[in-house]
Amino acid sequence: MVDAVATGSTVLRPRRLPKRRNFMPLFLLLPTLLLMGYTFLAPLATFLQFSFFRFRKGRLEEAFTFETYQRFLTDPYFHASIADTLYMAATVTGLSLLIGYPLAFALWRINRPGLQKWLGLIIFSPILVSVVVRSYGWTVLLAEQGPVNWVLLGLGIVDEPVRLVFNLTGVVISLTHIFLPFTVFPIFSTMVRLDPSLREAAMDLGAGWWTTFRRVTLPLTLPGLVAAAQISFTLALGAFVTPSILGGGRVLVLPLQVYRATSDINWPVAAVGGLVLLMMAFIAVVVFNRLLKFSEI
Amino acid sequence: MARSLLQNLPPLRYLLLTVFTLLGVAFIIAPIAIVVLNSFSSVAYNVFPPEGYSLRWYQNLAEQKAFYSAALRSVILAVLATGIALVIGTMAAYAMVRYTMRGADFIKAFLLSPVVLPKIVLGVAIFMFFIRIKTSGDYSSLLLTHVLVVLPFIIALVSAALVNFDWTLQEAAMDLGAGPITTFLRVILPQIAVSVGVAAVFAFFVSFDQVETTLFLARPGENTLPIEMFLYLQKWQDPTIAALSTVLVLFAGVVMVALSHAMRDRRLPVALLQKTKEEASK
Repeated sequence: MVDAVATGSTVLRPRRLPKRRNFMPLFLLLPTLLLMGYTFLAPLATFLQFSFFRFRKGRLEEAFTFETYQRFLTDPYFHASIADTLYMAATVTGLSLLIGYPLAFALWRINRPGLQKWLGLIIFSPILVSVVVRSYGWTVLLAEQGPVNWVLLGLGIVDEPVRLVFNLTGVVISLTHIFLPFTVFPIFSTMVRLDPSLREAAMDLGAGWWTTFRRVTLPLTLPGLVAAAQISFTLALGAFVTPSILGGGRVLVLPLQVYRATSDINWPVAAVGGLVLLMMAFIAVVVFNRLLKFSEI
Repeated sequence: MARSLLQNLPPLRYLLLTVFTLLGVAFIIAPIAIVVLNSFSSVAYNVFPPEGYSLRWYQNLAEQKAFYSAALRSVILAVLATGIALVIGTMAAYAMVRYTMRGADFIKAFLLSPVVLPKIVLGVAIFMFFIRIKTSGDYSSLLLTHVLVVLPFIIALVSAALVNFDWTLQEAAMDLGAGPITTFLRVILPQIAVSVGVAAVFAFFVSFDQVETTLFLARPGENTLPIEMFLYLQKWQDPTIAALSTVLVLFAGVVMVALSHAMRDRRLPVALLQKTKEEASK
């Protein structure tokens, strides 16, 4: 509203913005900030508070202590859990990139808009189907008498059904499927922004397709690749539904430990476990942001 | 020229990429297709190929009243959460795009940070907080939590649309005497309607799919649909869930068709990306 007055009357005078303008953004942001204070910051503060309490003989003791931290961080059982979580997230990220990059490439290079739209819809539409449904679908697919084993047996690749479900393998396959749209999208968007003349210049100067890909396309789409890795890694760290449905109680990643501790009213352990998970996600974001800067030369 | 496209590639690479893409498509569709197939199975256990076909799981589903009320609750919750988030999220996005503020980067990072937070941490933290202030089990607690979860998506998508908006239009409207709210509703909103629509649909499904954040907040017997399904799966694995999932897939399919119909004149939101690029290079 201030703009209108300024441009209407005195165009040449440098715009002095009246004080009122400073309140406008605050007013617009206020509902969001209040909501985030109430349902985000305050809960996190409570969470932090609980991490300093302790749980003894089935009862919560509200005393300030580092005991829970100490117990959690020295317990080999929780170490294994942390290692499993990291291993799972890393495997899922690797697989997502391996499948996501070529898919994004194909989506980018398809020349018929109709076909491109359909492939795009197929890649992105699983987002609209509940994670519970998709995880359930994988338990059916990977079951001992399921289609995957049926194909493997039929082709004679294996002699007896492979155990793919209710272990880490099933969880990793399913999570890769669930995060695939989130991996394809950032890669695809860097490809779309790529200036086509760069590749043509490389080709004109005599570079083969492989050299062009390796020296032009890949380096320029590296930021997308890093962004995709960041998304799938952080999402995989916090994955809860899929490990509980496909893990069959055997894949005890950190989110499941947090859930269990909360159900067992051992809230200090839930809080410490959750904070460890939070720190891991935070470190991952920072590291990937660094990589992103590095990849955007 | 951008016409060095798939069919101009030498056959082998073209073939390999096509095969890989088809495998990828199969990988993407498989878990959803098998759920649909399994819902028509005649036996309670998972076996492939199916031993017979029947509609008994749909009959069983029809008798599970808990799923109906849960579905209704989920839809109402998702609609309310999306509505509130659209209003306050658009306000926030407008503030972020239109005004230069001190610490804008920090505020932006803060507004989007709930996405990075592992959902289970958020769910448990909110649960502990609401127990502490004794509002756990209130509908408002559940609703506000869902608003928080969908808000970052709305802010991100609406901001992206506002960045590409031609602000001289707004100034023109104001010069001609339109008030700020009229200008927003009649000049700005129509221009960003598609993005707002996409954001709304996306937010609806994000809320509709919440498990971790809702698990502890919903009162027993008043669960949302994904929670009801999640708990059902912990106990049984019969194809009733497959029948219900098929209904949900159908629902998502209808929304998908409607969405692609609404965007039939546009290609993928590629245009948006290219525009941002042009802007960045200016």
